[in-house]
Amino acid sequence: MNLLTEPVGVAHYMAVGAVLFVCGAVCMATKRNALGILMGIELVLNGANVNFVAFSSRYLQADPSRALGLDGQLISLFVIVLAAAEAAVALAIALNFYNNFSTIDVDQADELQG
Amino acid sequence: MNPDFPTQIDLLQTDTLASLKLFAPELVLCGTIVLVLLLRIMFGRRLSTSLLAFVGSAVALGLAISQGFSGIERQEIFTGMLVFDQFAVFMRIFLLAFLVLFVFMTARTGIPDREDAPDFYTLALGATLGMCLMTTANHLLAVFLAVEMASVPSYALSGILKGRRQSSEAALKFAVFGAGAAGVMLYGISLVGGMLGSVHIPTAAVRLTDMMLAGPSQPTITVLALGGLMILVGLAFKLSAVPFQFWAPDVFEGAAAEIGGFLSVASKAAALALLLRLGIGMCYVPEQSLNAEPTEVTTQAARKLPAQVASLRANEHDRQPFALVALQEPEADVQAPVEAPAAEPQAAGEAKAAHEAEPAAVTTGPQTRQQALEAVRRYLAMLVAVLAVATATFGNLAAYRQENIKRLLGYSTIAHAGYMMMPAAAALALTGRAGQDDATWAVGTLGFYIVMYLFMNLSAFLIVALIRNQTGSEQISAYRGLLKRSPGVALCFSLVLLSLIGIPPLVGFAAKFAIFSSLAEAGMIVVLIIAGLNTVLSLFYYLRVIRVMTLEEPAVSEPIRMPVLASINGFFVLVLTLPLLVFGIFWEPVLNWALTSARTLLY
Repeated sequence: MNLLTEPVGVAHYMAVGAVLFVCGAVCMATKRNALGILMGIELVLNGANVNFVAFSSRYLQADPSRALGLDGQLISLFVIVLAAAEAAVALAIALNFYNNFSTIDVDQADELQG
Repeated sequence: MNPDFPTQIDLLQTDTLASLKLFAPELVLCGTIVLVLLLRIMFGRRLSTSLLAFVGSAVALGLAISQGFSGIERQEIFTGMLVFDQFAVFMRIFLLAFLVLFVFMTARTGIPDREDAPDFYTLALGATLGMCLMTTANHLLAVFLAVEMASVPSYALSGILKGRRQSSEAALKFAVFGAGAAGVMLYGISLVGGMLGSVHIPTAAVRLTDMMLAGPSQPTITVLALGGLMILVGLAFKLSAVPFQFWAPDVFEGAAAEIGGFLSVASKAAALALLLRLGIGMCYVPEQSLNAEPTEVTTQAARKLPAQVASLRANEHDRQPFALVALQEPEADVQAPVEAPAAEPQAAGEAKAAHEAEPAAVTTGPQTRQQALEAVRRYLAMLVAVLAVATATFGNLAAYRQENIKRLLGYSTIAHAGYMMMPAAAALALTGRAGQDDATWAVGTLGFYIVMYLFMNLSAFLIVALIRNQTGSEQISAYRGLLKRSPGVALCFSLVLLSLIGIPPLVGFAAKFAIFSSLAEAGMIVVLIIAGLNTVLSLFYYLRVIRVMTLEEPAVSEPIRMPVLASINGFFVLVLTLPLLVFGIFWEPVLNWALTSARTLLY
């Protein structure tokens, strides 16, 4: 299936979601700054959100009864709220780390080993 | 086609009101959290938060117990978001009982000071609320929300010692890895839910059966397998299973010992329950929805979310052609999907073991449909078994050279997570068998192990916390000659460690024996042998601690002021360690309770 010649369907949105997911995963794996990692996590969550919204639409599916409907859209809304809550806690923890280590470089977090 | 608007509102109202009654223990927890936060504003530091939290969790526990120890049938609550059955009540009683003990323990060891106590107990109650939801989740949104509700407060809890470098490092690692794992899990949920066209787990399982019978295309199988793997990443992180175990030792060492107890018992138990709910939910379809009488579907639909009524109606249409497909010999169709999962590189050894669990071929309608999920079951059981074996072995090997007792217990926790995943794998492999008795046995032994693990690990961490308060050290060298300095505590700690190994008169033996029997039942002989070898491996590092306590001379001669029974702390230690002896001999009531509860999981 060639995405460029097909009419826009779920597959296209899934491709966008997958790109976001991979960007986020790479970001999480390579960044040394704790805030950079948190941004990567946001990208991953939003990649999943794109998927959910696409799956929820009846018009994108070949078989409309397979659409998630409102469930999919509600999940994305919940995830947006949850991402904010998680970011708040993670930022507080990063700030606490900064108070003790004067840096938010995660590579400096190496006192616990063995 | 949909019921009209007033009817929908009516349905929703009756459903919510009926559900709220069954949700009472969790509501009490919510109420306690709100009270703690409000009263803190009014009374400031004069408020005894620990007492409030203790009363709140005790009331919640009482309500959970009043829901009964047996005879609760499965029913979906909150329009199918959650499920209420005996297994849910079992886990709820377990988690709330743990919370009561935990609140009492922290109040005694004094880890939250007056300033931090409201935050500390809010977080602990909130995390327990999330764990209760994890054990009852019936919808992929509920799964994700519950996992996050349990995780996010745990990150903050592990960093509660604000000024300590190690504590803040542990919290940062936990938060970053945890958030990453949750993100991957959510992406997996989106793939699985989207491919199956439903996020309601039982509906998704029916769709999966349909799909497997129809002979799915290769890309669909790949996406589903990938999605399942990603969901497993999130669960493996919560379970601290290899290869997502790296946070556990650091967090256990950096955070306070009490938090270690919380994470190792409650968090792990909830994750295991969720693993069972998701795994069995996805690869087991009960007989009644296989028969698919149209009338039955409508009655079911009447209790469901109006939005889902439509999807269920649609399902009804799907089912029509299905009966025809089922009449043809479906073996050929099923073979194709089996190939894909079996091609997983590491799995070769376990594949054979799982094979033996295959039920006898039957040709009646529902049975063949049940069999259609055999490939899924085999894939999941294999994955979980491989993870379990790797986790147990890693935990036991890495525990050797540890000098810090909390880190040692952290690795021991990883090893025990591995042991506890083994009956979960056995249960997944056994779900396909007719009668469900074997699978029930596997789930029941897991429930039994979880309950016994509470006594073993909570008392271990309690003793570590008490000795830290006295000596200010958490190194194993601080335990030198403990037998002379504080004979009672040394004796209790030895009992705990021997029970963690699984020495016969103690409860660890009964628990290990039970899970090994479920492995034998499932025909997972390779797993069984590795688990046995692991028990031998674990002998050495636990015995090393006992040797340090008993044979070596104390560095300081003054006794630790903590003779057993002479103080509340000593009495509490006894209360937690005596069950190791008592249940080691009279374990049947607990095992029977766990088995009764397990039965409703495979309704």
